[in-house]
Amino acid sequence: MPDNLQSETLPMADLERNRNRAAIRRAPESAALLAFLVAEIIFFSLSSPYFLTWGNWVNVFTALSITGVLAAGGTMLLIAGQFDLSVGSGVAFVALVLALTIDSLGVLPASVLAMLVGVGIGLINGFLVTRIGVNALITTLGTLAIFRGLTQSIGGGRNIPIANFDWAIWRPFLNIPLSALVFLLVAIMVGIVLKRSVFGRSIYAIGANENAARLVGIRTKGVVFAGFLLSGAFIGLGGLISASQLGSTSGTTGLGLELAVVTAVILGGTSLKGGTGTMLGTVIGLLIVGVLNNGLTLMNVNSSWQQAATGLLLILAVSFDQLRQRLVGRR
Amino acid sequence: MTADFLAVRGIRKSFGQIEVLHGVDLDLPAGTITALLGENGAGKSTFVRILAGDHMPDGGTISVDGAVASFRGVGDARAAGIRLIAQEIADAPTLSVAENILLGAWPTRAGLVDYRSMRELARQALEMLGTELPLEAKVASLRLGERQIIEIARSTIGASKCIIFDEATAALSDAEARKLFQLIRRLAGRGVAILYITHRLDEVFALADRVCVLRDGRVSLDSAAGDVTQDQVIEAMVGRAVAYARHAVPPSTDAPPVLKATGLGSASFSDVSFALRPGEILGVYGKVGSGVQELSSSLVGARAFDEGTLYVEGSPRHFRHPADAIAAGIGHLSADRAADGLLRTMTLAENLSAPSWGRLARRGFVNRRKLRQAYCRWHRTLHIKAAASGEQLITELSGGNQQKVLLGRWLEAGSKILVLSEPTRGVDVGARQEIYRVLAGLAAKGHAIVVATSDYEDITAVASRALVMVRGRMVAEIPYERISTEALTEAAGGGVHA
Repeated sequence: MPDNLQSETLPMADLERNRNRAAIRRAPESAALLAFLVAEIIFFSLSSPYFLTWGNWVNVFTALSITGVLAAGGTMLLIAGQFDLSVGSGVAFVALVLALTIDSLGVLPASVLAMLVGVGIGLINGFLVTRIGVNALITTLGTLAIFRGLTQSIGGGRNIPIANFDWAIWRPFLNIPLSALVFLLVAIMVGIVLKRSVFGRSIYAIGANENAARLVGIRTKGVVFAGFLLSGAFIGLGGLISASQLGSTSGTTGLGLELAVVTAVILGGTSLKGGTGTMLGTVIGLLIVGVLNNGLTLMNVNSSWQQAATGLLLILAVSFDQLRQRLVGRR
Repeated sequence: MTADFLAVRGIRKSFGQIEVLHGVDLDLPAGTITALLGENGAGKSTFVRILAGDHMPDGGTISVDGAVASFRGVGDARAAGIRLIAQEIADAPTLSVAENILLGAWPTRAGLVDYRSMRELARQALEMLGTELPLEAKVASLRLGERQIIEIARSTIGASKCIIFDEATAALSDAEARKLFQLIRRLAGRGVAILYITHRLDEVFALADRVCVLRDGRVSLDSAAGDVTQDQVIEAMVGRAVAYARHAVPPSTDAPPVLKATGLGSASFSDVSFALRPGEILGVYGKVGSGVQELSSSLVGARAFDEGTLYVEGSPRHFRHPADAIAAGIGHLSADRAADGLLRTMTLAENLSAPSWGRLARRGFVNRRKLRQAYCRWHRTLHIKAAASGEQLITELSGGNQQKVLLGRWLEAGSKILVLSEPTRGVDVGARQEIYRVLAGLAAKGHAIVVATSDYEDITAVASRALVMVRGRMVAEIPYERISTEALTEAAGGGVHA
């Protein structure tokens, strides 16, 4: 225990003051993003009277729920310097498993099975990355192709209806659909875990310097493995939400979700180099994209243009961040 | 006497409210080697970056060959013939030696790279330095010293008239350092003005014609190297006379050993045996490549060993992961602080408490207040120069203070055995003394410490006894009474430098 040299009394007042100062110094990173989101909101509220209504905001969050749940896992992994690109095809595969088993097994057992399939995908990714040592980008690019292929060949490219599975659109509270509530709950939980738990701090430590993390006694491979398992669990959850929201599934379910996730996470300020980023940032990143799509829809802009706008936004935001860093770094 | 190539007058520079250079004058005559010393924070790097065109001065002038120059960027300084060789090697490891020497100046013919004349120019550059390297070899396959030669060869391409070396020997073995010194003298002999920045006093007197010391943004000494003594230079650096005083840490004989090795062996060392008792500081001295660093990695579970047995408090242990060694009460410092020690994006408090997160947490959740308290506990004891809150990022601190934070990790973790690799590498004079003082204090409190180092001053300052390694073998054990620079260098097989 740490009492073998002299301890000293804590200058608590001094400590608190310094903490506030540090908080101010760190503020600008998410403040710039938040300012952008606010500008977006002001713009769209001027162009559509419907934009600022409660109903519309519920729509924004509901539309984000699948991407958001997956982005929670994506944020954890990217902070640790890892990726999971298999989330989109994973969601499709999970939804397919649910669709094929729900009639014979019943709703609850089929849902549990679907969740386990999601965790299984995370298990495969985690095993390949941490035990075999394959780069995460390559591993999950591989599993992305494998599970998309399996979904299409097993499902036969048909649209498979899923009956009696509409929980995601129930509105138990303030007229908010359950899927949006699940997203918010996941975001809050992951946010707290990242900020406060030993597991979460270990993820930051690994992203900041994997060697150093290992040398202070962190079981780095175990933590990364757990990160992939969690991402797998979120794939399972995303699959269930998707199946429930759509009431069916097909070979194209979840197509491109991995890119939407990466866009939101990076837009939210998580560095590709690892070690930095927050769940709050990711939620802001999700909202920037979600509000843009919602606003453009209200303005009757074609959805193809929305996709181009999202890409442009990502590049602009990251360029802006680079410029800002250069200005700060230059002193 | 040759004319001054570079004449610097009254250079001032502020960052925000703080002026870090308060009017620096310095002449760099052609063909002269000038050593620039100063503690961390004295303004050396800022000054050098101004010379290299990377920072703009707020006041003062730089004259090149008698004409006042204004550098608006690195390109301007390069055009004037000034080259900076940074501490970190910046090469393209997957390219060949010739491609690296000519990097940024590849000769072309009809728009395509002309490999034949590239090889010829590279060969000439190396020949001028009086050395040879395989021109077709990939740089990644070379040793560190050879890669540094490539950096120097590159700096001679084009009309370079002044070359600045920033802590060039930090990662070199003695043989490589000797070779580097020959190259530098050769360059000076060809009329190049050399500015050589270092922490090491022995290098100054082995190499430099002139000594210049910066302290708190001012020149505190500027003299011919033959006219000053080592003590005068140190005094100019710290503002008071110091030597690395020998701390009295006598060996202990009564207590049973807490760490004992019998016949340890791996690819890098063989048949290493020792016993470490509480209250002792065991110095393990060896030059780069002697196996000292590999041995210390094996002691802390960071690297496997194949032969022999390691006993912790009497029972044999085989560590599969550093966490096992930490659980057994062994803390450590890595030789390469940046690569293996610092959690760069995290605060001082988080860095210091990293091995203790589990203990400071309740049900898996960290209590931030407890982390800050943990930092506060060691802030004063270790004389860490930072805000007492521990909320700064660790990258904002100087090397010496970073090292103190990393040492604090193991005090907070309650480790009774410390294995410290190169504990004072890249640390300035003042912080070095404080680290020695802390180590002596820890030994007095009953810690058992291994200092594994290639810096003999670490041994002469604090060791209770010293083991000397050469090419993976223990060649000598030097008792407390006989520890001296001479005894160490003799056992390690020859002179220190040059």
